[in-house]
Amino acid sequence: MAPISIRGLTKRYGNVLAVNNLSLDAIHGEILGFLGLNGAGKTTTIRILLDLLRPSSGNAFILGHDCQTDGLQARLNIGYLPGEMGIYSDLTGREVLDLLARLNEQMIDRQRRRELQDCLEFPDSDLRRRLREYSTGMKRKLGLIQAFQSDPLLLILDEPTEGLDPLMQESFYKLLVDVKQRGRTVFMSSHVLSEVERVCDRIALVRKGELVLLSGMEELRKLSARQVRVLFFEDVPVAAGLPPGSEIVETGPRSWNLKVEGPLGPLLKTIATLPVKDIEIEEAKLEDVILKYYRDGKQ
Amino acid sequence: MRRAALLFAYSLKRVRTLAITTGILLAALQLVLIFVAGSIQTSGGFAQLATLIPPFARQLLGPSVAIFMSFSGVVCLGYFELAVMGALIALSITLATTPASEVEIGFMDLILARPLARHWIITRTIALTTVVSAFMLGLMMAGTWIGLRLFAPEGVEWPSATLINSLAINLGLLTLCWGGVAMAIGAASRRRSVAGGAAGLLAFATFLLDYVARLWQPAEKIAWLSPFRYYNPFDLITGNALPLKNLLVLGGIALVGFAAAYVLFARRDVSH
Repeated sequence: MAPISIRGLTKRYGNVLAVNNLSLDAIHGEILGFLGLNGAGKTTTIRILLDLLRPSSGNAFILGHDCQTDGLQARLNIGYLPGEMGIYSDLTGREVLDLLARLNEQMIDRQRRRELQDCLEFPDSDLRRRLREYSTGMKRKLGLIQAFQSDPLLLILDEPTEGLDPLMQESFYKLLVDVKQRGRTVFMSSHVLSEVERVCDRIALVRKGELVLLSGMEELRKLSARQVRVLFFEDVPVAAGLPPGSEIVETGPRSWNLKVEGPLGPLLKTIATLPVKDIEIEEAKLEDVILKYYRDGKQ
Repeated sequence: MRRAALLFAYSLKRVRTLAITTGILLAALQLVLIFVAGSIQTSGGFAQLATLIPPFARQLLGPSVAIFMSFSGVVCLGYFELAVMGALIALSITLATTPASEVEIGFMDLILARPLARHWIITRTIALTTVVSAFMLGLMMAGTWIGLRLFAPEGVEWPSATLINSLAINLGLLTLCWGGVAMAIGAASRRRSVAGGAAGLLAFATFLLDYVARLWQPAEKIAWLSPFRYYNPFDLITGNALPLKNLLVLGGIALVGFAAAYVLFARRDVSH
């Protein structure tokens, strides 16, 4: 039973198509990055999963329960971090955490909360303060604690590191590793590519409401062209018969700069007879692939 | 059910300062009115006031003048004075638009991301509006009772308990009626200010309609549309029984408002 299963999901606002025939599945125990530019439909999709928005067509399921017709069961085991923490500012941090934990009808796990507080450097003294005294980063930390505190099977996080300083981002990544090791599934939206590259197992990329890419990180890297620089002992004219996937970008004195998509073997075979002095290979950049999809959409 | 009770307790806690402060002010107003009425009564001022009003003015203003010329009438003023009615209705509208406020700030995202059915949000809001309105009226009635005990001159006739109860019940239902209207509007709104403003404007417009209709005959034809038409304290003070029709109409509007709120909130997109 997939933690998240989305089938042909569409959401219209009048003439605006916010989500267009989106289908994807999250795999148990993975961290699935949900990427897209602002307005791509990420938050709309998340809100449909939580039954805050009703889809125009299609279905979404959480742990096998239809998010619309069986929403209570679907939301029974979710931790959710919204993009903005909308909380009344006259409450203390502890009151917020207690209220939200009790709304899950779960015992407040003080030990778990303490671990999260320690991880995110959020002392009790801060929990006793009213939210009006909180900075953006503190609100974000509080949001993370409330999402993680019930140790849910599925975490849905909307831009989780927005407003966190680099040190806290590191702590958050450790937290993700920890929940993943315990078999939890994480569905997180982000547009911080380095973050996604670092923590996610797979990414789903949406553009103008459409899913344009759903791929594992390794497969994604393979999609990207590597930069290869071949240095020769002497000037070598560009060979006419370069293998498919290899393309000359620039030639210089005793060097070629190439872009190589796919395996390197055919290129190495081609240049094996040439007076090669050295080869420099630059690893594929995930950013390049993603930016390409951002710009061009489905390939 | 437990989640809804928890949410209700949380909401009640949030509004406790507002409710207690307003309640104390309204109760204090009852004390002040009784103190003033007692002073006027002791100094024989009611009789003097009656002689100051010329007969034509007395005829023009109708039975309401006679009401203000008595201790009992001034005591009852605390249940239909414009500021009192305004405060109660404004508080009711504020509480009834709580869902719109929660949608607006994004709090609804957090609570509905839990396994909590949407209808509990409306049930919580109805309970909150009803409990706080009843609390207000309870404090006002307590203020009246304490005021009469402390400040009523000896031998003066007190307003009957039935009269005070009738005024409080009728006023309570009028308050709840506006709560229902505001809740229906708020259940479909993204902004509390929009929902509260619309309900407030509607209340003001219908109040004016009722007021104008009492002075200008043509407006009488549509005055039945105003909920204020179904709260007639002068009738009660002059000894008439509380009409069941008034209670049914005001209660009916409140119930229709609540029902509309359930339907609208269940169908809407919760998005801020």
